[in-house]
Amino acid sequence: MNKPWQLDRRTFLRGAGVSLSLPFLECMSVSAAATPRPKRFCAVYFPYGVSMNGKDENAKWRWFPEGEGADYRFNESLKPLDPLRGNLTVLGGLSHPNGRSIGGHDTADIWLTGAMLKGAQMTNTISLDQLAAEHLGEETRFRSITLSNTGGVGEVTRSSTLSYTRTGQPIPAINQPRLVYNRLFGVEKGSREEQRSQLGNSRSMLDLVLEHSKTVRTRLGKQDQEKFDEYLASVRQIEQRVERSEQWLDIPKPSVNATGLHLDADDSTPEELMKTMYDLMFLAFQTDSTRLATYQLDNMNGATSIAGKFPQLLGFGKSSHSLAHGGNKAGGAEALGKWDQFRAQQFSYFLQRLQDTPEGDGNLLDHTIVMYGSSNSNTHNNRNYPTVLAGGSKLGLKHGSYLRYGEDTPFANVHQTILNRLEVPVDGFADSSGELAEIVV
Amino acid sequence: MKLAVAILSAIGLFGAFARAEAPFDYGSEIRPILEKHCFSCHGPEKQKNDIRFDTLSIDLLEDSAAAETWHDTLDVLTFDEMPPEEEPRLSDEERQALIGWINHEIEAVVKAKKSTGGRPVVRRLNRREYQNTMTDLLGIETQYTTSLPPEGLSEDGFKNNGAVLQMSAMQLEYLLQEARQGLAKAIVTKPEPPVYRHLLKESNAKVNSAAGGRTYSNTLGRKQLFLGKILEEYPEEGEFLVRIRAKAHLVEGEGYPRMELGIGYTVGSNSPIKVASEQDVVSGEVQAYEFRGRIEDFPLPDRQQGKFPGLLLRVTNLYDDGSPLPKQETVVVKPAEGKRKAKTAKVWPEEPHLPSIEIESIEFVGPVFQSWPPKHHNAILFPSNQRKTDERAYAGEVLHRFMERAFRRPVEKGEVVPYLRLFDQVRPTVESFEVAIRDSLAMVLISPDFLYLVEPSEETKRPLNDWEIASRLSYFLWGTLPDERLRDAAEQERLKDPKYLRRVVTAMLEDERSWNFVDQFVDQWLDVGAVDRVAVNPEYYPDWNDDLKPSIREETKHFFAEVLHRKMSALNFLDSDFAMVNRPLARHYGWEASPRGMDFERVSLPEDSERGGLLTQASILLGHSTGEDSHPVLRAVWLRERLLDDPPANPPPNVPGLDAENPDFARLPVREQLEIHREQAACNDCHRSIDPWGIAMESFGADGLFRTEILRKEPGGKGKTFRQPVVTGTTLPGGAEIDGMEDLKTYLLEEKKEQFGRALVTKILTYALGRSLELTDEETIERLTDDFIEHDYQLRHLVQEVVVSEAFLTK
Repeated sequence: MNKPWQLDRRTFLRGAGVSLSLPFLECMSVSAAATPRPKRFCAVYFPYGVSMNGKDENAKWRWFPEGEGADYRFNESLKPLDPLRGNLTVLGGLSHPNGRSIGGHDTADIWLTGAMLKGAQMTNTISLDQLAAEHLGEETRFRSITLSNTGGVGEVTRSSTLSYTRTGQPIPAINQPRLVYNRLFGVEKGSREEQRSQLGNSRSMLDLVLEHSKTVRTRLGKQDQEKFDEYLASVRQIEQRVERSEQWLDIPKPSVNATGLHLDADDSTPEELMKTMYDLMFLAFQTDSTRLATYQLDNMNGATSIAGKFPQLLGFGKSSHSLAHGGNKAGGAEALGKWDQFRAQQFSYFLQRLQDTPEGDGNLLDHTIVMYGSSNSNTHNNRNYPTVLAGGSKLGLKHGSYLRYGEDTPFANVHQTILNRLEVPVDGFADSSGELAEIVV
Repeated sequence: MKLAVAILSAIGLFGAFARAEAPFDYGSEIRPILEKHCFSCHGPEKQKNDIRFDTLSIDLLEDSAAAETWHDTLDVLTFDEMPPEEEPRLSDEERQALIGWINHEIEAVVKAKKSTGGRPVVRRLNRREYQNTMTDLLGIETQYTTSLPPEGLSEDGFKNNGAVLQMSAMQLEYLLQEARQGLAKAIVTKPEPPVYRHLLKESNAKVNSAAGGRTYSNTLGRKQLFLGKILEEYPEEGEFLVRIRAKAHLVEGEGYPRMELGIGYTVGSNSPIKVASEQDVVSGEVQAYEFRGRIEDFPLPDRQQGKFPGLLLRVTNLYDDGSPLPKQETVVVKPAEGKRKAKTAKVWPEEPHLPSIEIESIEFVGPVFQSWPPKHHNAILFPSNQRKTDERAYAGEVLHRFMERAFRRPVEKGEVVPYLRLFDQVRPTVESFEVAIRDSLAMVLISPDFLYLVEPSEETKRPLNDWEIASRLSYFLWGTLPDERLRDAAEQERLKDPKYLRRVVTAMLEDERSWNFVDQFVDQWLDVGAVDRVAVNPEYYPDWNDDLKPSIREETKHFFAEVLHRKMSALNFLDSDFAMVNRPLARHYGWEASPRGMDFERVSLPEDSERGGLLTQASILLGHSTGEDSHPVLRAVWLRERLLDDPPANPPPNVPGLDAENPDFARLPVREQLEIHREQAACNDCHRSIDPWGIAMESFGADGLFRTEILRKEPGGKGKTFRQPVVTGTTLPGGAEIDGMEDLKTYLLEEKKEQFGRALVTKILTYALGRSLELTDEETIERLTDDFIEHDYQLRHLVQEVVVSEAFLTK
């Protein structure tokens, strides 16, 4: 908690004739060059890996750059990131040891968790963003936002969300831009008093429901009880959510300009959909509505993924899975590389927006760590995750290089590095063995 | 501890019915192989890499460390990493035995861990069930699920599996919001609103962005429209009615014109208009076509903005035979009042060779209600004097009645207490009774008794009571809560009688609500939604039209419905002498004889037709294609998973890619590519029993049409194409040589029909129970399958028998 800073805030409000104990409110801090800036984290995931092995004239479609260290050169796929190279690091060779022996399409679930998810152990563990939310999520209107193009939770080992609770429960991802927008910026119905009384009613209601549900639970069999605990946990959590809404009631939601946002974009307009999701994450950070966001572009489940056809719709020829499978076939390196490049362009747009927005003595990107990548290198291959780590220069990250690691460095070392930079007090994360010293100031 | 013992003995039984390759005996078959090849490095003498096989536990369930080691061993074997090169190699039989045994043991553990002891897990209503239930409970047809996240899928593709359906804080938060919004509509607080009526005889608005280049007219061909505008006098909430009086100009040999009604408004260059309804206009006589909806479900103009006021009603004719458009004609437009100069405009001429719609008038009425407060209000807040004399007692009675419907069972007086307590808290803070009671009703709608199918458990399995049967049955066949008749039957405790129950099933299937079963079961069993996940590439299919996709999905559902309702044999799913199509689909398939409109009709197939059954339906063929070509592997997996209930294993980790950059490989026919793929032992293990099924279906492209040639792109050839003849000859696992779709169907009908029967039993039972099936269900599956076969695979009979089965009637 930022004690001195909060004191400032109260003083400010008292001066303004409002005497309320308020949570953190970023948009009101105008002259705050010296005050600690919010620390943020965002993760963006894509499935099936990248173009890797192009030879001869197709070598330029290799996702990983040429050379190593500071003198590396981007190939075509990541060229859109070139203007930002001072603010990012490309990481190669990393993977979750726990992911190396599970199914080739089963690793998206553990990208942010590092859990073992095979055989009889099908329970996930807390994801990086949710762990960070336990420490950074308390000062904003929303603890975190979880997005994906397919939405919901999907299927275990093929989930359509990146975020998991402390007990390893998947958090449903929102896939409709309008829903995200309404949640973050939408104006609630009714006067403030009506809202207050409705929130009060909700609180009473949830108390009563919880009490009553406990008696329902006793009538259930053991297995049912376990399932039913999800419900009880949900009631408890929305009680907290209601409480937080009450705290925030007197602070209007930030108003943002919705022009240019394609709020009704869906799976028939993929480019608009992805751009709008990036825009919404940007706006969420800019307005300090939350400090934690995850966005899964696609999952590895042909049976639920509505995003698999996106490259087809956008003129890249094949579905994402087919492009990935074709990566080694003639012409495949280029086809997949172009799709990689398109995704990099969109990602670059997001980073650029963050970088172009001043904040304190730097910009939004300086205070936001963004991880971008996949848990496959080629399709079905759970090693050598393509990874870009960007931003966070004011949080102690050092950028500008392409770094390769051996398999003795677990991917979770990235997670640990991020958590340390976010000043989340943890001893480690999953099976991490330390920080990536090379990228830490 | 008792549970663990039960599970262990259950694993022992697994071998008895495993469908896959026969399981191996560890002692006599597996251990000797390990001894021969592995013990020298991983045995008593040496334990390289800390792995020792001679003492490694084979109880994978209890010893999870051992399970991990076995799992790693599997990986190593799959990739031929062990034994190392300098050591003697495993023979193919030895390798397969090891892999087969390990796979089998792992699968058994996974199943045992997931086992529910054959009891359904307390099951949440899924999105569809919630939508239906809210609609029936509140008596208002509107969307209740827009904010709810998409549902998770069980491993076998079902969306109503209790163990898989999750609850999360966000979901519950949105459920509360949906409940409050729904109740705000159902229970009105305002005085009787004015009813607006408008009768439009011709277009009274000109809005370019709404017209989309069409010409304003009462005679609607493919390039005309009728655009009505209601400036001020329309409601912003409540039910409305649009009555269109129209007739068709029918043309011999063409289909029915199709009328589309859209409602919305305009803001300058943009017109948000939502389609309210589509309908064939079938009569040459003027008829009234009515549409009812909730006005708040449509885009409405902001009355404050002033610049583009008014509600727009747009009627168009969707019928288009795809022929070239006529030339636009230039006409002189009368000068506007006060202007001198006449202007010219381009208009679309009528096309008498195509069917058109003649609009006589369009009537708008809204809000529509028979009484005030409306029926849905009175259904909850029933009229009673008690409300004046003892408001609290009245609230209790209102809640009690509502809870009995919502909870789908009798509710004891005491259960109302918490809900009434909320009422007590809220009532003093608000002016009206209506507002106060809404919150208590909302509490009912987020209560577990409403959101879940709660079935209390006892130590041992117990028979369901009548109310529980009614709920299970109703959600199985209608996807919603029991209606009054079913509630009466439960009240009279008649549902435990199998004879009566069979009759109830028949009646329920005859009710139109059974479409929900058809729709949902077919969707989940056959995954017809797959067509929406594939984008067809127009470079390969220039004639393709994406508007076909909904018809393609529907075809399979109507086909299922036909078999179900006409008491036909389910073997029609393997092959049939009829198809269910509408006009666009019949034309897509290239048939002369075709229904005239969008409704699906039964069409007999000629003797020599290549179609019939599920396998030749575009939903299956397109859904399991790449959008450019067929996808033989996906089709094969689909067939084994969905029709034979014999899904192949998932792809293993770190599969080596095909080293196929050379263009020669890329030019090979798919069959040969797959053959090369199978030369790698790691791939062959699974793919030899997958690929052939798909090869046999190669004569159908991604568009679902029959083909003799495949259009391919020259690898790296910048868009150059070439054509390759289709090859469909293949050897199925087991050795049967077949060539093409006809052979495949014949083979399935002759050799696999019992396996198919069993698979269908399994799928319907899984859906009916809302849980994955397991060991303890084997007996039920056997019995149902035998009976199903005995009754000539009659689908409806099977549905009845599933309902009277012990698994369905016990908890």
